Amino acid sequence: RYVRQLQRLQLLFSPTAADARGAREFVEEAAQDFARQHPDVVLYVSPHSGPGPAPVLRAEYLNGTVRDELIASKTSEEIVQLATKLANQSGLDIIRIRKPFHTDNPSVQGQWHPLTNKPSILTVQGPRLQPQ
Amino acid sequence: TAPAPGKKRWLRAYLELQRLQAPPQRRSEKPNWDYHAEVQAFSHRLQENFALDLLKTAFVNPCYIESEEARRRQLGLDKDAVALQLQDNTGLAERGLRFARAYLAQCFEGAYPELPAKGIEALVNFLTSQELVSYVAQNLSVQDLALCRDFPAPPDVLQRTFLAVIGALLESSGPERTGIFVRDFFIPQLIGKDLFEIWEVVNPMGLLLEELTKRNISAPEPRITRQLGVSTVLPVYFVGLYCDKKMLAEGPGETLLAAEEEAARVALRKLYGYTENRRPWDYSKPKQGLAAEKAISSN
Repeated sequence: RYVRQLQRLQLLFSPTAADARGAREFVEEAAQDFARQHPDVVLYVSPHSGPGPAPVLRAEYLNGTVRDELIASKTSEEIVQLATKLANQSGLDIIRIRKPFHTDNPSVQGQWHPLTNKPSILTVQGPRLQPQ
Repeated sequence: TAPAPGKKRWLRAYLELQRLQAPPQRRSEKPNWDYHAEVQAFSHRLQENFALDLLKTAFVNPCYIESEEARRRQLGLDKDAVALQLQDNTGLAERGLRFARAYLAQCFEGAYPELPAKGIEALVNFLTSQELVSYVAQNLSVQDLALCRDFPAPPDVLQRTFLAVIGALLESSGPERTGIFVRDFFIPQLIGKDLFEIWEVVNPMGLLLEELTKRNISAPEPRITRQLGVSTVLPVYFVGLYCDKKMLAEGPGETLLAAEEEAARVALRKLYGYTENRRPWDYSKPKQGLAAEKAISSN
């Protein structure tokens, strides 16, 4: 069955900084709807007062990866889109995928090896039968 | 003149080093943690309705209770305050283990009717072994929610916690849903695994002879089918097993004995129906009633 890989989202922002305006609007308007639509993601909202680091959305996944996304000077809708994108991701590292295909059953009739189509030593080559 | 006050250049590197060298801590001790919300999210993530108090008792391990009582005694509280009101998860874990074993054994008996009891037992033991269950539990965030004395939680604690979760599900939702849960999380761990990787068979030829006598087929005759590089360091022999001059199975090997053993294993795989090209497992919705009743009756 499908298990959402996103465990929790932590929204760290400051209530007075100018670039956290989108984050504040997100918390006021869209955060509750997002939490209701994704009941298996725990959303933590933690405002830290005073001048601090930039507003960040921290996503923790089931395999342990923690991903920080800057939300400075982003609008509320953009933060919603970003949050849904993080919610639909898995926690695997975002690196170049070497091949866009993978199969668990690489061969159906048996993989070829140098002896596949060679006759076995037990087959006996008899004299050719004359047509009757 | 004194240097200008302000943040030093080495400060950032020093703070980064402190952050990297800090000892690993439980997630519950880091900021932003709400146990009740996490437990609710856990039940939604698995798409199951749990009774939350049963689920919370499922996460409590006996080592945690002991360590908590010891800590309270050390802090000098009264005898009444020392005794915790929490229950263990050992009962739930036992029930979960019994149900999981019975259900998996029943699944395998239905899917591979030719497989003998020892083979089914080996498969079930593999699926309920410590490494596999703790791996599944780690990837479902059970290690954050489980309350235990050591961090990181040892594999037997994770296994007991996950089996207790299955027991809690059994109590809350009934055997059918728990059966579907066990099927969805344990059986995919068999993908890509070969039967004889899981089941150690010492004498495959003897086992094959027993199977063939049960089916009234004559003893197999091994013959060399193909050979390559006989006089080199790496020869390859293909030995075929023939019953009544019809081929049963063929297996490769480095020496003749190894090839014969491999051919016996291939023949056993074919007889038990556990080949690589068998039909994949059926994950569709089960028919009502039958599976659950059998699981309860075998409990």
